Amino acid sequence: MSHQDSAIQTAEEHGHSLQMGESNFAGPDRPTWELYATCVHCGLCLNHCPTYRVLGMEMDSPRGRIYQVLQVDAGRLPIAESFVTHIDRCLDCRACESACPSGVQYGHIVERARAQIEQHYQRPWLARQIRSFFYRHVLGDRKRLSQIATLLRFYQRSGLQSLAQHCGALKLIGMAELDRLQPRVDDRFFFEQFGQVFPASGERRARVAFHAGCIASVAFSALNEATVRVLTKNGIEVCVPAGQNCCGALQAHAGFRDEARALARQNIAAMLDDRFDAVVTNAAGCGSTLKEYGDLLREDGQCSDAERFAEKVKDVTEFLSSIGLRPPERQMKLKATYQDPCHLAHGQRIRNPPRELLRAVGIELEEMPHSDQCCGSAGSYNVTQNELSMKILDAKMNDVSSTSAELVVTANVGCMLQLRAGMDRAGLNLPVKHVIEVLDECY
Amino acid sequence: MSSGISIRHDIVPQLEQLLGPEAVFVSDLQRYSIDGVLPTAVARPGSAEQIPALLKIANEQNWTVVSFGGGTRQQVGQTIERIDIVLSTERLDKIENYDPGDLTIAVQSGARVDSVSTACAQHRQLLALEAPAGATIGGALAANESGPLRAGFGAPRDFCIGVNFVTGDGVKGRGGGRVVKNVAGYDLMKLMIGSFGTLGVIVSANFKLFPLAQQTATFITEFDSVAQAIQVRDWLLRSPLAPISAELINPTASEYLTNRAPRDPDSWAPEAPSQQKKRWMLALRFAGSDRLLARCRKELAFASPRDLTEAEQMAFWRAVAGFEATAIERHRNGMIFHVSAPLAESQNVIEAAQGAATDYNFVASTIARVTVGTLVIAFLPLAVDPPGATQFASAASHFRSRLSRGASAVVMRCPLEAKPQFDLWGSTPSDIALMRKIKRAFDPNNILNRGRFLVE
Amino acid sequence: MFSFGIASKLKKIVGRDSVLDRAEDLMLYEYDGSLARGMPNFVVFPQNTEQVSAIMKLACSEQLSVIPRGAGTGLSGGAIARRGGIVLSLARMNRILEIDVANLRATVQPGVVNLDLSAALAPQGFYFAPDPSSQKACTIGGNVAENSGGPHTLVSGVTVNHVTGIEVVLPDGRIAQLGSKSANAAGYDLPGVFVGSEGTFGIATAITVKICRLPESVATLLSIYDDVQDAANTVVALTTEGITPAAIEMLDGWTLRAVEAYVHAGYPLDSAAVLLIELEGLREAVDEQAEIVSAVCRRAGAREVRRAKDENERQLLWKGRKTAFGAIGRVSPSYYVQDGVIPRTRVPETLRKIEEVGKKHSLTIGNIFHAGDGNLHPLILFDARDEQQTRRTLEAGREILEFCISVGGSITGEHGVGMEKQDLMSSLFSDSELEVMARLRKCFNPDSVLNPQKLLPSIRTCRETVMPGHASLDAPVASGAELR
Ligand SMILES: Cc1cc2nc3c(=O)[nH]c(=O)nc-3n(C[C@H](O)[C@H](O)[C@H](O)COP(=O)(O)OP(=O)(O)OC[C@H]3O[C@@H](n4cnc5c(N)ncnc54)[C@H](O)[C@@H]3O)c2cc1C
Ligand SMILES: Cc1cc2nc3c(=O)[nH]c(=O)nc-3n(C[C@H](O)[C@H](O)[C@H](O)COP(=O)(O)OP(=O)(O)OC[C@H]3O[C@@H](n4cnc5c(N)ncnc54)[C@H](O)[C@@H]3O)c2cc1C
Ligand code: SF4
Ligand code: SF4
Repeated sequence: MSHQDSAIQTAEEHGHSLQMGESNFAGPDRPTWELYATCVHCGLCLNHCPTYRVLGMEMDSPRGRIYQVLQVDAGRLPIAESFVTHIDRCLDCRACESACPSGVQYGHIVERARAQIEQHYQRPWLARQIRSFFYRHVLGDRKRLSQIATLLRFYQRSGLQSLAQHCGALKLIGMAELDRLQPRVDDRFFFEQFGQVFPASGERRARVAFHAGCIASVAFSALNEATVRVLTKNGIEVCVPAGQNCCGALQAHAGFRDEARALARQNIAAMLDDRFDAVVTNAAGCGSTLKEYGDLLREDGQCSDAERFAEKVKDVTEFLSSIGLRPPERQMKLKATYQDPCHLAHGQRIRNPPRELLRAVGIELEEMPHSDQCCGSAGSYNVTQNELSMKILDAKMNDVSSTSAELVVTANVGCMLQLRAGMDRAGLNLPVKHVIEVLDECY
Repeated sequence: MSSGISIRHDIVPQLEQLLGPEAVFVSDLQRYSIDGVLPTAVARPGSAEQIPALLKIANEQNWTVVSFGGGTRQQVGQTIERIDIVLSTERLDKIENYDPGDLTIAVQSGARVDSVSTACAQHRQLLALEAPAGATIGGALAANESGPLRAGFGAPRDFCIGVNFVTGDGVKGRGGGRVVKNVAGYDLMKLMIGSFGTLGVIVSANFKLFPLAQQTATFITEFDSVAQAIQVRDWLLRSPLAPISAELINPTASEYLTNRAPRDPDSWAPEAPSQQKKRWMLALRFAGSDRLLARCRKELAFASPRDLTEAEQMAFWRAVAGFEATAIERHRNGMIFHVSAPLAESQNVIEAAQGAATDYNFVASTIARVTVGTLVIAFLPLAVDPPGATQFASAASHFRSRLSRGASAVVMRCPLEAKPQFDLWGSTPSDIALMRKIKRAFDPNNILNRGRFLVE
Repeated sequence: MFSFGIASKLKKIVGRDSVLDRAEDLMLYEYDGSLARGMPNFVVFPQNTEQVSAIMKLACSEQLSVIPRGAGTGLSGGAIARRGGIVLSLARMNRILEIDVANLRATVQPGVVNLDLSAALAPQGFYFAPDPSSQKACTIGGNVAENSGGPHTLVSGVTVNHVTGIEVVLPDGRIAQLGSKSANAAGYDLPGVFVGSEGTFGIATAITVKICRLPESVATLLSIYDDVQDAANTVVALTTEGITPAAIEMLDGWTLRAVEAYVHAGYPLDSAAVLLIELEGLREAVDEQAEIVSAVCRRAGAREVRRAKDENERQLLWKGRKTAFGAIGRVSPSYYVQDGVIPRTRVPETLRKIEEVGKKHSLTIGNIFHAGDGNLHPLILFDARDEQQTRRTLEAGREILEFCISVGGSITGEHGVGMEKQDLMSSLFSDSELEVMARLRKCFNPDSVLNPQKLLPSIRTCRETVMPGHASLDAPVASGAELR
């Protein structure tokens, strides 16, 4: 037998291990044919995908991930280590959605794929425990989150952290990078403000419900407070409804869709109210999930409420720019560059409002190349896929330093943390701020 | 590589049987002699269909064949060993299909370039193939000829959209077609263009045409040194201006753009020493509306150009196109190079030619297509004594040694006696081993132009 | 085992993480932008020419076929492994090696993405002219292999007009240089024949291209029609008028409605067809020509001609054109795109024919094409789950291309023959003409190690299965001897 023949035979052997047959998807939240068949495998999205740009392989591209989903459905590919690896590696940044002319709803596909993974795949014991604890028992539970944050605060403030950093223990257990990414826990949590109403200063132009977020309330209270200040200074009454909860984004992205649904119902109940002109958030990731409650609750009776709710959700930059800023008290004469948070640019198609707000307070914007490409933060991605995330981050820092900006601005806390870590790694000394922080300095 | 015994006394009767007696003749062979070698017979097929059969027999019998158009370029390359048959395309001279609405034309290879151009001009369309009176479509393609219009319209490879040919062993081949955009099959046009008849006999070709310009303007700027002229060229390349012709003419070359008769046919001798020093000339031609031409004039104002009148333009560009012919007509011992070099090397090529020429008692007359990077350089003997054969070889090797690896300098013409002394083709940056393989595949018995190119 | 030995040899050449040999990874390389499928035994990601050469030597000695691959956006199955073998991905050879403004050349590795090169050239005022609609993804190596064109190649020429030098690794591993930075190297035009050889001659590992100045001024006109025939007649009128715009693109009403849903560029939803006409050059020329073109369009029956008022609107209009194939995914699960070419005088009757074919097979056919060059892209919509419909689709495609041939046209203007239109090659070329082409291939690729069973027709064909969600073409899978 010639080698060529045996090569053909090998191809056939591969064929045997990849027989077509019964779908490997089952249970709720199956990716549907209607969802993935819109992909015509043209490849136009490849170059927009951060993981493809770094790894250069189809398995880690949008087209490839959709194809893998399709093959699982066709029974040719098991929900096993390989499939899980590549789906895990996806940042869910949805740059591919912006790039895709065919209108593929990639976010919906990958979230369902992850839901299927949670249902049918046994992760290693430790990972399972951590994931389940974190997604099921921490984020949506205000009390437990506060307790953990307090512990973490102790670690950070007591000197334990600097001890751990200095003795190299973190490097030893491969946690050095992760440690750098940790938010600094606040001295006072924003949870204390829940149930409050902040009146508008001057003539009232609108009334909104503020969705404060879970982690943001223990680690970014200052930003939340700034958000309230900027809104009220602009004549907006801000209510922080007490019954609200975590938006469920991290859970949905990780495949914990039932947990996400429970949270969605709570939030709708707490904030869907005709008194509010809008439900405002300062976190892009929360915003895009809140806006997609309709899809999440599709199989629920509450679907129409969810859709009404989703229509009310506005990113704080979107809302402010739609009603227009009051003239700022101070101008900020700085050259800055703006990093588009994925869930704002791709998830919500919001690109101009934050830029307009920055210009309105006197900032001169210089665009960096690939400003709408993910920084690698992507929710908890920088924790779960640290090495790849850092590669993506380093590329981002290259783009930042190709500009002459004195300040980097973004509109999402996850991105802020990631970019700050990037500055550290690259030895750059630029401040990184949220659009709201910049506005806050001007009022 | 030529194998097999050839029975050559059979040639004429066999050809007559194949093509009919009116298509074969054995008298007046002088007209078809190449480098002094006379063919045994001349075949003038009356239909394209006869060519495969003719080449099949020739291939079997090991008869060597030279395809022959207008005969204007037959002295290229090494002297052909032996010519059994000259295959003249003169009867294949029809325009097969002209679709003015589609701006395309299909022509047989023996059609004269100038008559096809005239036919197109009647519809105010341009066949961008440039060749002087007498040259045929097949020959001009085989020789990959181009002229001053190359800057604006490209080389034959850019506007020839299809070709029909017959390989050395008589198999009909085709590349492309009649439409202006086409990627079905391999691009055999590229292979036939510039093959100098060594890979097959071109039977017909199809071209994309261009709308003829309503009007053109020509601006002549003059400089004291080549460096100054090149500076303006570099400026031009970065400017938004797009001339259809851009030629840098060295001071001695401008002698050949006039109608004055030479004083001495054997050597370069300028007109009676004039008071006026000859200068470097950059000639730029633009096509377009009044407003557009005015804009070009304005952009160029810094170089104080001279504007040619309509009549002057015609005469001037005809003379530039005919430069090579004029130079050879006046100096039978001239040596002509066609050089192709990266753009940034233009000045170096011009200076290298000047240096090498002076060292070996020649004068270098140069016309450089400066936005393309191709140059026509005539080495014209300076001495009253005819130069010795090795002098050509030495000058050429001296010249070539100063060019970069990416450049090539082909001797298109030199005295017959000098030919055996050196390599007329020079080096090429392209892969010779592949070229040899292609030659063997298309002409397995090496009957086409045996010895002209890729001699083994 | 046989494949294990080869895998470890490949890993020795390119490194562990640059070889794929597990089935679950390999299946991600069984597709490209076309409908064809075929799974390789290995995928390798070399980083330099020497590695490519070593891979070729190994493949040669093991008699494994090698299939080069760029971004896999090809529409004729060129990057598909028809009978196993090694897919050689050039995605990681993506450095721009040199931008040489003085010589108006750039030298790039084959994996450089088309648009990335233009982006790198833009600060210096230059760009790479061939602009396939897939330019934000496809590679220059792929462009060279397919001799790609684009909307603007009407005036500036296709890839072959812009390539002067190529470094090639031949099937036996030898590294050959074809051409250089100069306009034409002495001897046969090897870069000229290599371009468009669809990965069957060698692997391009470095490519020297011409770079062009960005035009001073650009005008984009949108000419709107109530009747497709008027649009077609405009193309004929413009050609005879002697105006050569930089681009003339046509979208029919059906297609532009799909496109508008994606880009919101202001394409008129109620029209039967639009022409997108672009003029570029000196300000003076552009303004004058814009007026002449508008007049010609109106005379031919345009209901309205508008000029994009700013760069933003221009970009949107073009985004609509360039993403048109993709946008079809919004309205149909699968499409089959044709790439026929016809003389420009035959545009009107060809459009009528396409409509007729659509009716006959009860299929929706959208029309979008490079009207200026007579290069049609009829898009036949179908649902791959419907076997009947799939069959009718393939039949309709074939009828359209046969019509193109009958009016003196061609079966492909830019997408290549690949494994998709091989059969039709015999309708376009005679046996002897195909034999001459096979001879040329043999000079480069004597044992068909590289990209076997592509471009030239095979003798026997059989059917492939249709997978859910994705049609597989009635792709000829050759089992018999190829024409040599
Ligand atoms: C003095 C002089 C000045 C010139 N000036 C110019 C100029 O300014 N511009 C310009 O464009 N050109 C110019 N030329 C080039 C000349 O016009 C071209 O060489 C000519 O176009 C070739 O055509 P031909 O019919 O004379 O071919 P020939 O001279 O008969 O043949 C040239 C070569 O082509 C081969 N050949 C001929 N016909 C065929 C065929 N049908 N199939 C395959 N091979 C074939 C021959 O075997 C030979 O190798 C000049 C030539 C000379 C000698
Ligand atoms: C939405 C869409 C629009 C398109 N629009 C156009 C268009 O307007 N014009 C156009 O011409 N095409 C178009 N195409 C087709 C396709 O994008 C082009 O053919 C492109 O050049 C392919 O490049 P690639 O990098 O994706 O190559 P691939 O698809 O990966 O490969 C194509 C061929 O090239 C070979 N190849 C790749 N790299 C090399 C190399 N380095 N050396 C040798 N061979 C190699 C492969 O073997 C294969 O045969 C379009 C495709 C899509 C999906
Ligand atoms: S996701 Fe969209 S852009 Fe990507 S391959 Fe599929 S259809 Fe094309
Ligand atoms: S969501 Fe982001 S990482 Fe995931 S496939 Fe799309 S572009 Fe790539």
